[in-house]
Amino acid sequence: MLFVAVDIGGTFTDLVAFDDAAGQLYHAKRLTTPDNLVDGILDCIDYSGLRLADATQLIHGSTVAINTLIERKGARTALLVTKGTRDVYAIGRGNRPDAYNLFFARPKPLTPRASIFEVDERMLAGGVVRKPLDKAEIEGLAEIISGQGYDAVAVCFLHSYANVSHEEQAGEALRRALPDVYVSLSHEIMREYREYERISTTAVNAYIGPKVSGYVGALEGSLRKHGFAGELSIMQSNGGVMSPQVAARRPVMMMESGPVGGIIACAEIAAALGYPNSISFDMGGTTAKASLVRDRMPAMAEGYYVGGYESGDPVMIPVVDIVEVGAGGGSIAWLDDGALKVGPRSAGSAPGPICYGLGGEDPTITDANVVLGRLDPEGFLGGDMRLDRAGALAGIESRIAKPLGMDAQAAARAIVDIAIAKMSLAVRQVSVEKGYDPRDFALVASGGAGPLHAVAIARDLRIPTVVIPWFPSHFSALGMLLADERHDAVRTFPARIDTADFKEIAAVIAELEAGLRGMARQSETHVEYFLDLRYVGQEFNLSVPVTPAQIANADRASIRSAFDALHQARYEHNADDEPVEMINVRLVARAPRPKPGMPTPGSESTPPRLALVSMASGPAVECVVRDRASLRAGEVLMGPALIQEYGSTTVIFPADRCEVAPTGELIITLAQ
Amino acid sequence: MIDPVTLEVIRNTLPAIANEMAADLQRTSYNMMIYEVCDFCTALTDEKGRLISQNVGGVSHFVADLGVIIEDVVAREGLDGFAPEDVFITNHQRVAGQHLNNIVIYMPMIHGGKLRGFAMTRAHWIDVGGSSTGLGASPMVSDPWFEGLQLDQLRIYEAGKLNKTLYAVIRDNIRYPESSMGDLRAQIAACRLGVRRLEEVYERYSADVVEASIATIYRESERRCRKVVESIPDGVYEAESWYDDDSVTPNDPIRIHAKVTISGGDMTIDLSGCASQRRGGINSRTLAASRVAYKALTEPSAPVNEGSFAALQTIIPEGNVMMAHYPAPMGGWSLIVPTVVDTIFKALAGAAPDRIPAAHHGLLGGSIVFIGRDPRTGGNFVLQSLEGGGWGGRPIGDGESASVSVCQGNVKNSPIESMEIKTPVVIEERSLRPDSGGPGQFRGGLGIDVRVRNLVEGKWNMSRPRRRLCPPWGLRGGGQGGGAEYFLKLANADGFESVDQVMRPVPADSQVIIRTGSGGGWGDPLERDPALVLADVEAGLVSLDGALRDYGVVIDLAGQCVNTDATQNVRAEKRAQAAG
Repeated sequence: MLFVAVDIGGTFTDLVAFDDAAGQLYHAKRLTTPDNLVDGILDCIDYSGLRLADATQLIHGSTVAINTLIERKGARTALLVTKGTRDVYAIGRGNRPDAYNLFFARPKPLTPRASIFEVDERMLAGGVVRKPLDKAEIEGLAEIISGQGYDAVAVCFLHSYANVSHEEQAGEALRRALPDVYVSLSHEIMREYREYERISTTAVNAYIGPKVSGYVGALEGSLRKHGFAGELSIMQSNGGVMSPQVAARRPVMMMESGPVGGIIACAEIAAALGYPNSISFDMGGTTAKASLVRDRMPAMAEGYYVGGYESGDPVMIPVVDIVEVGAGGGSIAWLDDGALKVGPRSAGSAPGPICYGLGGEDPTITDANVVLGRLDPEGFLGGDMRLDRAGALAGIESRIAKPLGMDAQAAARAIVDIAIAKMSLAVRQVSVEKGYDPRDFALVASGGAGPLHAVAIARDLRIPTVVIPWFPSHFSALGMLLADERHDAVRTFPARIDTADFKEIAAVIAELEAGLRGMARQSETHVEYFLDLRYVGQEFNLSVPVTPAQIANADRASIRSAFDALHQARYEHNADDEPVEMINVRLVARAPRPKPGMPTPGSESTPPRLALVSMASGPAVECVVRDRASLRAGEVLMGPALIQEYGSTTVIFPADRCEVAPTGELIITLAQ
Repeated sequence: MIDPVTLEVIRNTLPAIANEMAADLQRTSYNMMIYEVCDFCTALTDEKGRLISQNVGGVSHFVADLGVIIEDVVAREGLDGFAPEDVFITNHQRVAGQHLNNIVIYMPMIHGGKLRGFAMTRAHWIDVGGSSTGLGASPMVSDPWFEGLQLDQLRIYEAGKLNKTLYAVIRDNIRYPESSMGDLRAQIAACRLGVRRLEEVYERYSADVVEASIATIYRESERRCRKVVESIPDGVYEAESWYDDDSVTPNDPIRIHAKVTISGGDMTIDLSGCASQRRGGINSRTLAASRVAYKALTEPSAPVNEGSFAALQTIIPEGNVMMAHYPAPMGGWSLIVPTVVDTIFKALAGAAPDRIPAAHHGLLGGSIVFIGRDPRTGGNFVLQSLEGGGWGGRPIGDGESASVSVCQGNVKNSPIESMEIKTPVVIEERSLRPDSGGPGQFRGGLGIDVRVRNLVEGKWNMSRPRRRLCPPWGLRGGGQGGGAEYFLKLANADGFESVDQVMRPVPADSQVIIRTGSGGGWGDPLERDPALVLADVEAGLVSLDGALRDYGVVIDLAGQCVNTDATQNVRAEKRAQAAG
């Protein structure tokens, strides 16, 4: 079977494919073609020498959803809301996170005020109808919407999470009257309370809907035309894949489909090596990202803000929890009134670091690594690109070292060390600050610059083990090959655990479960159940896993003690004598997909070399340099050592031990 | 000299500790004043009370205000008077200088046998007895005993051992003890976390290195602030404004006056011209107005530390409304602060024209407070939300609408669905108020109306904001904003009437409109781009009449365009009128 994953990023389109029968892995990198993404995918497949007709699985991740939103290039969208709430989308929560900035900017609605229409209907908190919906009113609005040339409509009524009937009726009428208009109903995306955030999520879904559903449709059409007869899957922000049909209805779920691939790969590869708990560390050209995996499951966030918390669009969907910092290979080192800073400004790919010789003048993290000897000027991108070490040295000398009164080597080390400290804070944020001890985790490094810095970060946080996977610079696409199908559902259902009617809870679960199973293509679908619980009076909640038996038996005692224990673990205090309430029911459905294997290590034999590398303060040390492809399973290397491969270099410090796993990953054990 | 790497690491780590404390406190708290309104702060100080770091976001008027509490406790207990796992509680106005709901909890950090500093939190409890329920006592409350329980620097844990007597006294003298005792647990856990994280930094880098780094961080913050102030021309700048009254004595406006002196990199903010302390509870002991204004002008996005204010001198004499003698009533301690901040900006509007917006609504929220008993549960409930208003037009564009005051950063309103799940009310509307924005070349932001119907009987707090005498002003020819008010329609009554009353009992099915103020305009409204006026009319933010009256713009409704000729004529006429 041939598995193909294609990941479209801002700059490059990455392809990774695996042929089961031949045990052969393919990868290709082509420039993204923003004007015609589908052609870019076909070009990438052609370039890799594969035949679409042979592919049984094709998994796709794309920035099309997030770019449409960020660049404000979506559809002309109308929004229907409950009477009295026309301005809720503009008013939002009234907050100003940028607290002292007199020139703060509030988030801007995707629908201008003139495109927001009130409907005279009303539901109360429990889902009781206060004012019935009048279908004639919807039909009247449909005429206006059609007359004014809208391409999409979003509908979000108050308390629709509790009773969907008004949204359903409005949806039917709109879809009947406006067959060419993209219609998005809030309850079809999420059934969770907080109207502003739900309005925003629904509006985003409608705004990007025509473009993204059109894209997915065009992609499938083109692939079929070129002979693809296998299964097409679309990557979601929650770390799972979905069918093209589901993607067309819920395009908002694609929002972060790029970066999550790497986290799935991290979870799968680390678990296969015996590390169910891992931290994914992905460092590219402009940023570094950290995420936590526990018991093979990526940690999730319940929502986020596209474009940043200060002025971005809230999107309340389950998304893999990623902490991002402005430190990448291209991040610029600079002096702020005598203090050495690294990033967040990046030299990007043009002009790029000084050592690229493309006109860059600002010293970057990559330049510092070249000066330290950690990046081989002759071996970059497999020798395709020669790096200018003298230029990097001169840049660091004049911009950083001289003004600070230090030598260039020390300045380069300071730049790398500051970047490492910054990235360590991001790794801390997903682990220590969430109550997890990093010593219980393995750090999995990816991205072009990840393996260069991972061991130093691990040492900083006392993480004992670092894993360098296969193809660290294609990790996101690789992860897509390993992802399961996944669907999430949530429903706000407030009830005290000591008095709740568990039959009702069971009914809610059954309804949500039927919806999830309807979205999944595989019959073998596992569903997990969670209750979002809190002490009465709290606002934030913790998701507590429950079993069908606990629900069927109304096992109140065991459910609350699980919550008490989780609260203790997360916050170091609890209140086991206080009442506990449920706010949401949450379900996750997973359907496993066939997974490819990996190549066998040690296929090539290139002789080791020696190089002088600056590892710590003091003079540079002599260090062995190996080609990744020449490492055999079970082979052990002691640091100091460099391991080079296409697009990435791994730095192993003195006394650290690197062993090649039977499956080819590098397992680095840090010296105590 | 400390190596640059260690310095940078410590510089990033210290604010991260305060932010981590804040995130945990917020996520485990039991009252919306903490989890939604963010009416709290978390901080690390050194043993002298100097601010090492403070959380970002939350309520701005808590900026760097915990030091006086440490100075006081160290003077009482001595530097060697603290043990690990001591937990202190205080809200006493003699030193803390705010309303009693703001409970300060802190723990010492001892390293190498020496007191190094404190991890601290200040958070608004939903009740501290007396008349403090909800947002705090009203300014009509005449003294601190009437206001609530006073706690004066007491150890609630002595070296880790709970003082059960003190705990029982607190629990038994407040309403909603399950909420506040939960908040107490959350505050202590946040402090314990802060102490542990600070210890880790000390252990890793040694006390000498950490303390030298902190001193360097202070110096750098000070230097950056001085640089900004140096760009403002030297001089003495003054401005005045008024707050209607202290809620107790009618027709006796409170003068607000700011004298700002710029001399090189030094700024002095002299508030001596503000009124003396009052019988009504709008008094405080706070440097907040001066510090919020200074921070906004110098380094708005940088983390706060003691150095952030080293080049600022604030003069407020004893007996001033913002430096009141105990036992002056302080129930509404922060009400005038946003307007004092705006007055400081107004003083500098000529000297730094590109940095100063017109005045904002200046209210600590159009506050929604309704108290009653829920027949469904038999329990008492408090409905609470803080609603934003308009900000002033700015030199670069219109003011934002419906945003919280300059003293409240990440303060959020309550979602309609959340309020209706928790309390027996229906929110009939939450709307922008057309034509409310102060006219200007760059328009002031709009205020809002929130209309609430109470489904059960209860008491409404409808204390009218005191900004009628001196509404939010425009700058450079812009018009004024304002208009904050409460309206009540009793069940079966014909219409709404304007109300100014604390805890007014109303029957079921009454309706209240909470109206927030708008911002002043910036620049001459006759200079506003007619296309922007047209866009506002199309959006319904400005009426056709308003376009003509305030902006001299004639809009051709049929063609949905500006009638350019008619507009030129009307504007010329209006200019002539103004000149004549």
